[in-house]
Amino acid sequence: MLNDFFILMKFELLPAVIFFVLLFIKVGTAELSNASIIRLANILLFINLVAGFFYNKDGGMFGDMFHTNALIVLQKSILNLGIFIVSLQAEAWLRTHKHVIEFYLLLLSSLMGMFFMISGANLLMFYLGLELATIPLAALANFDLEKRKSSEAAMKLIMSSAFSSGLLLFGISLMYGTTGTLGFAQLPALLNGSNLQVFAFVLLFAGFAFKISVVPFHLWTADVYEGAPVPVTSFLSVVSKGAFIFVFASVLYTVFKPLADTWYHMLFLLSVLTMVIGNLFALRQQNIKRMLAFSSIAQMGFILIGISGSSQAGTASAVYFVLVYVFTNLAAFGVVALVSAQTGKEDITDYKGFHATNPVLAWVLAIALFSLAGVPPTAGFFGKFFLIMAGAAKQNYWLITIAALNMIVSLYYYLNLVKALFMDANASPVPKITFGVYAKLAIVICIAGMVLSGLASVVYEYIYNLSTGF
Amino acid sequence: MILLTLDWAFIIEKLILIAIVVSASLVIAMYATYAERKVAAVMQDRRGPNRAGPFGLLQPLADGMKLFFKEEIIPNSSNKFLFIMGPALAMLTAMMTSAVVPWGNKLEIFGTTVSLQIADINIGILYVFGVVSLGVYGIMIGGWASNNKFSLLAALRGASQVISYELAMGLSLIALLMMTGSLSLKTIVEEQMKGGWGGILGWNIWYQPLGFLIFFVCAMAECNRAPFDLPEAESELNMGYHQEYSSMKLGFYLFSEYINMFISCAIITTLFFGGYDMPFIDESSMSVNMAALIGIVAFMAKIFFFIFVFMWIRWTLPRFRYDQLMNLGWKGLIPLALANMLITGAVILARQGF
Amino acid sequence: MSTSEILFWFLSVLALFSAIMVLVSKNPIHSVLWLIVVFFAISGHYLLLNAQFLAIVNIIVYAGAIMVLFLFVIMLMNLNKETEPSRNIWMKFSGVISGGLLLWIFVSATRSAGEIVGKTAMIKEGSIGLIENLGKVLFTQYALPFEISSVLFLSAMVGAVVIGKKQ
Repeated sequence: MLNDFFILMKFELLPAVIFFVLLFIKVGTAELSNASIIRLANILLFINLVAGFFYNKDGGMFGDMFHTNALIVLQKSILNLGIFIVSLQAEAWLRTHKHVIEFYLLLLSSLMGMFFMISGANLLMFYLGLELATIPLAALANFDLEKRKSSEAAMKLIMSSAFSSGLLLFGISLMYGTTGTLGFAQLPALLNGSNLQVFAFVLLFAGFAFKISVVPFHLWTADVYEGAPVPVTSFLSVVSKGAFIFVFASVLYTVFKPLADTWYHMLFLLSVLTMVIGNLFALRQQNIKRMLAFSSIAQMGFILIGISGSSQAGTASAVYFVLVYVFTNLAAFGVVALVSAQTGKEDITDYKGFHATNPVLAWVLAIALFSLAGVPPTAGFFGKFFLIMAGAAKQNYWLITIAALNMIVSLYYYLNLVKALFMDANASPVPKITFGVYAKLAIVICIAGMVLSGLASVVYEYIYNLSTGF
Repeated sequence: MILLTLDWAFIIEKLILIAIVVSASLVIAMYATYAERKVAAVMQDRRGPNRAGPFGLLQPLADGMKLFFKEEIIPNSSNKFLFIMGPALAMLTAMMTSAVVPWGNKLEIFGTTVSLQIADINIGILYVFGVVSLGVYGIMIGGWASNNKFSLLAALRGASQVISYELAMGLSLIALLMMTGSLSLKTIVEEQMKGGWGGILGWNIWYQPLGFLIFFVCAMAECNRAPFDLPEAESELNMGYHQEYSSMKLGFYLFSEYINMFISCAIITTLFFGGYDMPFIDESSMSVNMAALIGIVAFMAKIFFFIFVFMWIRWTLPRFRYDQLMNLGWKGLIPLALANMLITGAVILARQGF
Repeated sequence: MSTSEILFWFLSVLALFSAIMVLVSKNPIHSVLWLIVVFFAISGHYLLLNAQFLAIVNIIVYAGAIMVLFLFVIMLMNLNKETEPSRNIWMKFSGVISGGLLLWIFVSATRSAGEIVGKTAMIKEGSIGLIENLGKVLFTQYALPFEISSVLFLSAMVGAVVIGKKQ
């Protein structure tokens, strides 16, 4: 039994071990320099990533509080990859930061929360994992301790997530009140679609929608992404959203299957709103972090199309798109992080003529933007393709048309930035950015991911075989 | 008119019990002020009050009447409702704790058994903690409503002190609860009475000495008694949080401190020293009323001893500085209480044989 | 009307009235005190349902610790009616309308729910709220959420210390 415990909960135990190692270093008397702490943390996160691929098995523990299967293992590995790349990119900013160990502690506890949320088969475990994922992020958003914008971002994040958690918890308690159970396995049989249950479901849905910043629950996104330090923004936009998408898809497909018609219409409406409003607002942004924030809101609209397909392809396309999104968004935010750490410039006008001084970074950013827009042969194209294929299964051609139109609109602001990078001249461009081995490694991983996960079809086929739909 | 389905006999019995307990607490607190001054006198090699009545025994009455006759000053720019509510809350929470203390075993009057405990709830100790947590509000609201920066600072210091020591108090009791297996104060006393030699070997002090020490220190901090009386430091923050109060409202604050002290000593006795157990006497071998009376006498004797110890410590030790106080609470007592809990748990498991 | 029914109606009215007074009070300290009254009323409801541990822990944690923290913040920041920013009247309208709609839908959903209509709550009978049973279930069936919540507290403390410590 003890053996089972270590193997099944390997994904959670490893970050916990790293958490305590770092905690004891902090509390102990060893005076380590920032560079050595960052090196140690990155090595440990790399071991965490690699160890996740070996020796996994399916099973459950603690009743229905924890269960794991191959798809969950894959989802957790994607999140591990995300946090590793974020940590590599954070090195430039953390070099001179005073609270390096606390940064890693909070990041790891947020990751653990996401893992427990994904593996939980019980609404209580899901809620606890959600809280454990969110609260460290609210503290992390404040990590630019001198800047007021950072405190404002943290305040907005904690206030809005507290409110949405309140709604979510109200939905969970009404669900418990009407069905008498919290377990995912027992709930579908007891759902009879009465008014109170639908109301509870709407509240639950609202809680989820807040976390993946779907319109009209997106109001926190732009301000938090702009104010928080860039590594925290990349973690929030990629890893946090990815985890919530995984849980969202799995909960909707397994627990709320009886309410499938209800949530199909809700997803349709929300994805249309999200894509349209996300794109419209992104058109007007001048700050690159805000623009990327709104672009990520629009991408979520696409994912909702995929999830609404409610088939095996639905889950597979959502998981695949999150993987592609990890590489893409982290590449874009990586470049922004490097520029921001060295020069503090974040406006699109500052990025004009970037190509002249930093050709490599300009190309990386350009490939990332093409991938976000969905231009082949980058992986973003394949991601969007599979999502729309999954969504088309319900034969809702209005949805597909609106999605296609939105892709064209989004192409405008992505290409606008690419034009600024390559074709506009600038009297005082961004100076040559020096980046160390960590940033180089992160960029290589992201580019390789973007290119390979699109062209190598084994990736999508593997994910497709693991997925379940209905 | 529909007669409410209430058990009137039960209510009247409890009301009489409450009246007796409350008046006893008030009288004992009154004479505790007198005892304080006499003990201080003995330690400082002087006489103490001996003018009002024989041996100064009417001194507390004189003090009380003085406070009643003084002028009621309510500062103009303070919040009047909150100003009056502060001392009321302090007195209320001081009295409320006495509801769960078992004052003795049962009495048999006219055929009915009257239990000498106002409320034997099976979450007894948690109720005490709940009331102690609410005691913070008396200090904070009094300090705020005075509309005075010194009072506010003193009130906030007092509140943070109470909260910090409340935590260590709770932790120190967990080991005791592990041993007893119940939260009800009556059960704790009865478990202790089962020890040998008429009950004295069962007292929890022998099994939980560290827990007793931690709880004792925390109880002193909760009552704002020296050396933890920084919030009402006469020589520092003027008069602390009851600076703006006069007449009976001040009297309530000062009085509630003594009632708190009395009740804390009662709880310490109940938890660690056998409560109403008279050592070396087997209570089951005599009539019920006699056993109850002996129990009450024993209980009061133990409480008075602890009140004397409180006063002894007050007039011996100097006052703590604020940072020393916080250090002791968070970095000293909490790790000790946790260690106590672990050791007790390990010993209990070892005795059960895993 | 049995004692439990009288107590139920009294506590419900007290809770609703105090909750409204929390919102309506001009002085923030009064709001906090009314919120404490709400917590007492809810703890009374828990006691009616025989969930004794939950009732007392509600008082200790919520009314005794969290509200003290609220009072600290309000007192130290000296918040009062003058520092409150005045809001656009259209925002207030939209707030009232959306809140009112939510209330309307919730009330109608509850009234039409088949699971609740015609049933009475278990008063004084349930044994799940007693502390022995709660302890047993908490440390066996719900051991994993229990441990996760301890990690949550630890990380919240780390975050709070980073933000709050004087540089």
